[in-house]
Formats: sequence, structure tokens, C-alpha cells
Amino acid sequence: MPQNDKALLSRLREQNVEFVIIGGFCGVMHGASIVTLDLDICCHFNQDNLRRIEAAVKDLNPHHRLTANKLPLELTDELCGRLKNLYLTTDLGTLDCLSEVAGIGSYEQVLHRSVIKSMSYGEFRILDLDALIAAKLAAGREKDLDAVKLLRAIKERKEHQKDLFE
Amino acid sequence: MIDEETLAQINGKYVMPPEAGPAWRAAAEYGFDMSLIEETLRMTPEQRIEQHQRALNLVLEVMAAGERHAAK
Repeated sequence: MPQNDKALLSRLREQNVEFVIIGGFCGVMHGASIVTLDLDICCHFNQDNLRRIEAAVKDLNPHHRLTANKLPLELTDELCGRLKNLYLTTDLGTLDCLSEVAGIGSYEQVLHRSVIKSMSYGEFRILDLDALIAAKLAAGREKDLDAVKLLRAIKERKEHQKDLFE
Repeated sequence: MIDEETLAQINGKYVMPPEAGPAWRAAAEYGFDMSLIEETLRMTPEQRIEQHQRALNLVLEVMAAGERHAAK
């Protein structure tokens, strides 16, 4: 299955979804040389925002990728009130939407620890480097702790060499 | 004539930059190719995403080829 993160991000932005990019893709944007197979975002799980996410992917054959029968994404008011995460597969790739991030907290706390990155296709919020390191430490898997080593090196380098791209 | 140090670099020896701090050295010693990180840090975030997409496409292609092979 393809994974087109740029197209997914553009669609989320077009629908005015409130979100912060987290996870491995956030690490890539900070300069880590890792390959990640999905796009992770933290977002408001209020009904309006969930409906915007649904609108962003509705023509992409979205399914709940962790359900046994790969249930299609069909939000109802009742379901919106009970959701904490959305693990989706779409025709443009995997999109994981989380309401909170371990080591950081709720969306509001994630938002507070985010920075804006400008791309030719829009501005996007991503976790700042310190927060990403905290999140990776909290996740605690081997690959996360490997990434921490790299992210700490990048943080150190950026602090000492200010002409590098943030 | 190429000196031994240059030859070592041609053969893949990473020269630690003089400004490298303890975290940078630790990551290099752990096995990360820090020369690639140096290049990536000179890119804009958008260029990093484009580079990642190219690498990801390759990974997905290899995975798909593996699945096709296993299905035979």
C-alpha cells in the first residue's frame, strides 16, 4: 500500500483539522534519518474535529485498520463521544490519530509544546524536539530509545550550530 | 598520493566534527551514520520530507516484492 504523507497532510489542512504531527514523521521533520511507515497526529477529539478528519479521508476508502473486519470509518455522534484514538488505513496510506501522547499529555498540552513548520503546501504544527524526546522516552520501545539517541544528538548540534534549518 | 587518513575516509571512516558534543559522539558510537544526519540537517523540513518519501517508497517496494515472492 502506498504512503503519501504530503497528500494526507494537505487533505487534513484543507479541512481545517486541528492537529499536531507527532511520532516518527515528526522526527523526520526535525532531521532524523529514519523511515516511518505511518503518519501519526495528535488532535482534538471533539465532534467537529473528528468530522473534519472524516471529511479529509472520506473518498480514500478509510477503514479502522486494527478492527478484525477492517470496519469502514463511519462516524456517528454517539461514536465520536467514545473515541480516544483512530487508527486508519486509507488509499493514501496509514493515518493514526491520537487524543493524547504518552509523556506529554492531552492535545492541549501537545499543542503547547509544538512549533510551526512552513511547507510550500501550508504550515503545520509538530512537537518540539524536547517534547518529541520526552514522548519517545515514555513510549520506551527499543526503536523509540534508539531514536532518542539520534534526537539528542540533533538537539545538541542545533544548539551549537545555529545556521542549520530548524 | 593519497594519504592514509584520506584513504580511510574514502573507505568510510567518519571524521567526527570538532564541534561534536557528547550526544553526537554517543550516537555515532552507537552506529548511526552521522554524516547522513549532517546532510539532512542542512535541508529544509520540506526537503527532509521529500527525502523520507523517496526512502519510504523504496522500503514499500521491497516489502511488496517480498510479499509477492512469498505468495508464489
